[in-house]
Formats: sequence, structure tokens, C-alpha cells
Amino acid sequence: MMDKQQHSLTRRAVTPLVASFLALLLGSSQLTAQPDAGPTYDDILAGFEDPERWLTYSGDYSGQRHSPLTQITPENVDQLRPIWTFQTGTTTRGRGFETTPLVDDGVLYVTGSNNYAWAIDARTGRAFWSYRRNLPDDLTYGASAPVNRGFGMLGNRLFMVTLDAHLMAFDRRNGDVLWERELADYQVGYAATLAPLVLDNKIIVGISGGEYRTRGFIDAFDPQSGERIWRFNTIPGPGEPGSETWPDDPEVLAAGGGGTWMNGSYDPDLNLIYWGVGNPNPDYYGEARPGDNLYSNSLLALDADTGERVWHYQFTPHDLNDWDSNHMPVLAEIEWEGEPRRVVMVGNRNGFFYVLDRVTGELLLGKPFTATTWAREIGDDGRPIVLNDGSQGCLPDPWGSTNFMPPTFYPGLDLFILTARETCATYVPEEPANTPGQSNFGGAVHIDAEQGSGALRALDVHTGELEWEFTYPSPTFGGVMSTASGLVFAGDHEGNFMAFDARNGENLWHYQTGSRIWGAAAMTFMLDGRQLVLIPSGTTLTAFALPE
Amino acid sequence: MRLLSSYIAIVFFTLSATAQAQSANPLEGNARAIYAGGVLFRAQCATCHGADAKGISTIDAPDLTLMWSQRQLSVQDVFNTIREGIPGSIMPPHDFTDTETWMLVGYLQSVAVAGVSELPEGDAANGRRLFARHCAECHRVAGEGGSLGPNLTGVTSRRSLESLRTSVRQPSALIQRGYKPITVVTSDNETVQGVLKSEDAFSLQLMDQNQRLRAFMKSNLRRMERSERSLMPAFPPSLISEQELLDILNYLDGQ
Repeated sequence: MMDKQQHSLTRRAVTPLVASFLALLLGSSQLTAQPDAGPTYDDILAGFEDPERWLTYSGDYSGQRHSPLTQITPENVDQLRPIWTFQTGTTTRGRGFETTPLVDDGVLYVTGSNNYAWAIDARTGRAFWSYRRNLPDDLTYGASAPVNRGFGMLGNRLFMVTLDAHLMAFDRRNGDVLWERELADYQVGYAATLAPLVLDNKIIVGISGGEYRTRGFIDAFDPQSGERIWRFNTIPGPGEPGSETWPDDPEVLAAGGGGTWMNGSYDPDLNLIYWGVGNPNPDYYGEARPGDNLYSNSLLALDADTGERVWHYQFTPHDLNDWDSNHMPVLAEIEWEGEPRRVVMVGNRNGFFYVLDRVTGELLLGKPFTATTWAREIGDDGRPIVLNDGSQGCLPDPWGSTNFMPPTFYPGLDLFILTARETCATYVPEEPANTPGQSNFGGAVHIDAEQGSGALRALDVHTGELEWEFTYPSPTFGGVMSTASGLVFAGDHEGNFMAFDARNGENLWHYQTGSRIWGAAAMTFMLDGRQLVLIPSGTTLTAFALPE
Repeated sequence: MRLLSSYIAIVFFTLSATAQAQSANPLEGNARAIYAGGVLFRAQCATCHGADAKGISTIDAPDLTLMWSQRQLSVQDVFNTIREGIPGSIMPPHDFTDTETWMLVGYLQSVAVAGVSELPEGDAANGRRLFARHCAECHRVAGEGGSLGPNLTGVTSRRSLESLRTSVRQPSALIQRGYKPITVVTSDNETVQGVLKSEDAFSLQLMDQNQRLRAFMKSNLRRMERSERSLMPAFPPSLISEQELLDILNYLDGQ
């Protein structure tokens, strides 16, 4: 750990020296003030190597959200205390403050709900600049979920998507807007909420709005020019592969849903992007869309250069319960039946935990992690054996058995740790009006609030068996992070930010933030030799550290 | 869908001057408009407010069947809220036509909890005395009384005669959130009985039977027992006769 830290400090110390040398050589005094050019693709690729940085949504491309930092340990975590709180001044009723801050050179780059954004001093919690997008007053999906999950970052540029379905580029030093591009027409029902994924000279984004008459896609943009490089449509066009899983009706396909509203992960060796796809539209009413409805509720592996599909796996064929598969796909190298294997893991909204070979898409494991009665096993054909379509008692609610709140993978312990929700809902399908610009659920849902609970669950990735759990009084939407010192950080619906022993799930520390932790997970980094842990909650972002 | 369109068409032609401010819903009581409003409601509003309009507390979506009885709301207020949404909240603006919006208002009027209608006569003065003797220790009315049970001011406009009778005769049949009974035994062997106000993974907050707000860390408790049996005693007709019950309700009806 220390070696890497010193290495990074050395690299930074060298840069001004080189600049001074160049300045002497060229006889220019301007170059001595050469600003830091900001993180490169190689820096993002290096992931957690520089302990003072967190440069992409999950900290690295794997989606593991497992930091190598070890200053805060199971032995001292009970000393953890808040060192500052940042008030965003913007509320998100019904949803959460879902962002993951990025950090570089002691500055946090943070997006908020309603398309606010800030650069914040990581030492004091004071803002350098703030930004607020002037949003139209007729937002569609963006009005019902006015959230944002974070910036992407490359060089001196920040990238953010908006509730009116645009991608924006900012100058990270002052928040100036450099360019913006429309992703889709928000008035139809589109919006965008995820944290852009920055690759080598590409910005990858997805789209929200599967509850409206929309058609999902994944886009790649040039970070400099803002030009679109490729688009993958998650619902095929007539005659395209996958269209055989839909009725032969261009109108149905053109509004088939399949949002891509949660971040993906990336394997640089395979040059593949892994990205989840959301529900087909209408959500609950399936009569007008017989078939499996590819690529809804699937995991896609796309070639990063071309956007072409390499493989897919559909978790919930012909979904009728709004069980989007928009989760962080978690990449890891694990031993599988005696051989090292490159896998991608997903804790799915349908209540199953999946392990797939990420080269081929082969299903290695599919096991329920909740008490769902929908299905209890995956058949030899890779499809769930559905036992209860809702006629045999209640099903997990549309928010799902888990959701997009990030899980963590703890290497070595080989635990996949996620937030599980046990709920009871009855679905009442109804033929929808199919009006563009209006939500189009196709029915309604009764949720029995008395029967809900939540839990932090650790699964053995080789078997899917429950290793330990910590229960919450209500269904919970907080994400999870782990650190190499043997800690798991999680948030709950009652507002607690908590630390657990990764080996056995014992609760070691908690702090009441005052508002539910919803959709967000913690991030951590070193600053002045001190490990900081940050969590968004309600309208606040709070930083924690051990006493100095 | 065709059915809905024809309803919309029919009600549309029966409307006049819909764009102006209204003190009454031009479609109030129109059965077809209410039906169409219900279809629209389930398609557009039910995800947050529930298919029965009773709300979903976990996402702060209010029970719309109670909005008329709990607040002074005009139909125009409701119309405007549907149209404009509630800024800063998850409730978005909607671009429904005037007709569609009035259909929604009509539907909401139709499912509004009406409270007691045609309350049989009773002696309100006697009801007041009975309330003071049997109820006021735990229930507040018009600023007086206890806090262990729900505030009963205006309760006759929120709940039906039948449901109020059930709550008096069999109080355990329906216990509202915030009034669920709980008993804890502390590490000092103190037994505390009360109603659960709030709870998280580590602590619980309750009001004890002396109406004192108390909080406990779960790790400090020897025992924690939840009960389905209300702290309110049942009042069978041998304790409060049917006429006495009506006397109490007549007293409450005037508050």
C-alpha cells in the first residue's frame, strides 16, 4: 500500500519539475503555471492504485466497490466519526441522494438530485463551485425520479447526464459547460440518471424511461467533440436478431422499453462493456408483447469499440413485474471448479444471484437470495422455472428483491454482499393507454407494507449460499462497499450508516445520518494520510474519519 | 381502450367552459367520468398512490382518500395539484386535458372517505361526560385529553360509523401505525409497555403507558415483545351501551 502511495506522490512531484524544465528550454514563463492535466484513461484503468483517488463510479472498472485501504479496521472502526457535512439544499422526495462522489487532488466532484453539481474541498466540505441545470418544467420520467448517480471524469472534463436526457461536459475547474448533446426527446418519456462510464476516448451512457413509450439504448460519445460514436438499441428493430421474441409489429418494438439507466462495468482485456437492461413496456401488462422480449431484463456484453453485442443473458424472460436488470455487473477472477475463471456476477431484482462466465456468457450459477416464491431454481435451459406468476400468493414488489444500489465483492473471502428486500406485492395488470409522454405501467400494484423487511446478506459466490446476514426493520435501498481491512460499509432505510465485520456480519459501528440512505453506497480515499469514508443521505453528504 | 375513449368523448361533450376556475367539479357524480377517472388513476397515479388511492407510506405518497377530510381542500385545489405537481417533491406536473383532470378529481371524490353520514341522534352533553370518563385519559379532542391513542378531533368526518363502532368494541381489530403495542424489558429488569413510534436496526422509540417518550438501544434490552393486542381496553355494550356510544359520537361530531 505504502509503495503505491509513494509512487503516486513521486509522480506528482515530478510533473512541475518537467514543466519548469520545459519552461526554461522554451523561454516561456507561462509553462511554469501549467495546470494539472487531470486523470487519464490509464489512471482510471489503474483503479485503486492511487489511494488518494476515486475516479469512476465504483472506484475501478470491475464494479466490485472493494477498496484496498486499510487504515480503518474492524478494531478501530468504532472510533469513526463525522468530520464535515455538506448540505446540498435540494431534496429528492420519494427517492434518494444516489451519487458516488469522485475525488482527485483533494477535490470532490459530486452530482446531486435535480441536476445540481458541485466541486467540494475534501478537507473541509466547502464548495469551490456549484452548478444547477435549468430544467424544463414538463419533465417526464425525470420528474418522478429526479436523481443522479455521479460524474464521469477524464482529464479536466467532467461528464454528467440530465433529467431532460442530455449528456453534458464540464470544465472541472470552474463548472463551465463545454458542450451538451441530446440523448433522446425527454417529452416522450426519456431521462438520464446514471454516472457516465469513461473509457479510452469514449463516454458510455444509458437512458431511463422504461415506464414510458420509449426504446432503450446504450451510447458511446467522443469526450472531446461530443460526437456520438455508436449506439446499441436494447430493443431490436424489425428483422434484427432478437425481434423474433416480440410480436411482428414495428410500433411495439419502437416503444418496447428496455432502459439502461444504471452504470455498467468494463473488462479492458476483453474490451467488453457489461450493462444491464430494464423492463419491457408496458411494465405489468404483457398481452400485447408475447415472447421473451429481448433484450429486456438482460445483461449485455458489448464490444467497446463498436457497440456490437457479443453475448447476452436474459434473467427474467417476458417480465411482468418491473424487475429491471439494471444492476452493477460485478467482475472478478475466481476459482471455479478448480480452474481460474473470469466471471461477472449479478444480484438481480428477481431475487436470484447469478454467476456467468464473462467471456462466453455461460451461466455458472443461479440461486435465490431471498424467500421469493416466483421461482426457486434455474432450469438446464438457463431459464427460471416459474412457480408463482402471482396467482399463488404475493410476489416481490416492483422495487425488487434488490435493486441498483451497489453490492460489493470481497475477494479472498469470495463473498458477494448485497442489500436484500423481502416484500409482498400483488400485481393488477390493465391494458394501458399507450400515450407518448405519459407513464405506461399497464396496471397497478398493491404492496403490503406490513410484510416488508430488509437485510444485508453475504453470499458465497461459489454456491450462492448465505454466509451471514444483518436484518433491517424495513425493505432497504442502501448500497454496500468493502475495504481490504475486513470491513463492509452499508446504509439502511432508517438512516443508519454502518460498518460490519466482513467475515461474519457482526455490526461494529453505526451512525444515524438523519435520512434514509437510498440508492447510494459509500466511497473511500486517503487524504493527508487519513482515510475518509463518504456517504450521501437525504440532502447531505457526510465525511467520516478516525480521530487525528 | 375503445371503451375509455368513448367515455371521454361522452363526458367531453357534456362539459362547458371547463378551463375557468371551478368551485365545483363539472363531472362530480358522473358515473362514466368516475369510471374513466379510475382507469386513468390506475394507469397514471397508482404506482405512487396505490391502486386504491390509499397511498404508499414507504415512499411518502399520501393517502388520497383522506385528503378531503383532513384538510380544507377545494376541487380546484386538487385539480391544480394534479396539473402542476408539487415542486420539490416526486409528484410531477401532468398535461392531462381539463376533462381528464376533472375525471381524476371525480374519481378521487368518489373514493374519498366520507366519515359518518346520518349519525343517529344522541346526547352530546352526556357524550362529553362519558368521553371524559372512559376515553380522555388516552385520546385528545379539541385540545384536551391524552396522547397515548390517536387524536379524535374530527374523527367522525374521517371514519364511518361502523368502523368507529368496531374500534370501540374491538380495538385490536385495526391498530394504526404509531400505536402498535410493544413491551420491553431492560437490562435493569425494568418492564416498559407502550406504543411503538419508530424503530431502526439498533434502537426503538416508544411512548410508555404514562405517555412519556422513551427510547431504548436494542442491545440493552433483555426482551422485546410485540403484541397484536391494543393497549386500549375493549368496551362491550355492558360498559358503554349503544346509546352511550352514539352520545359520545354526537359529542365528537361537534368538535
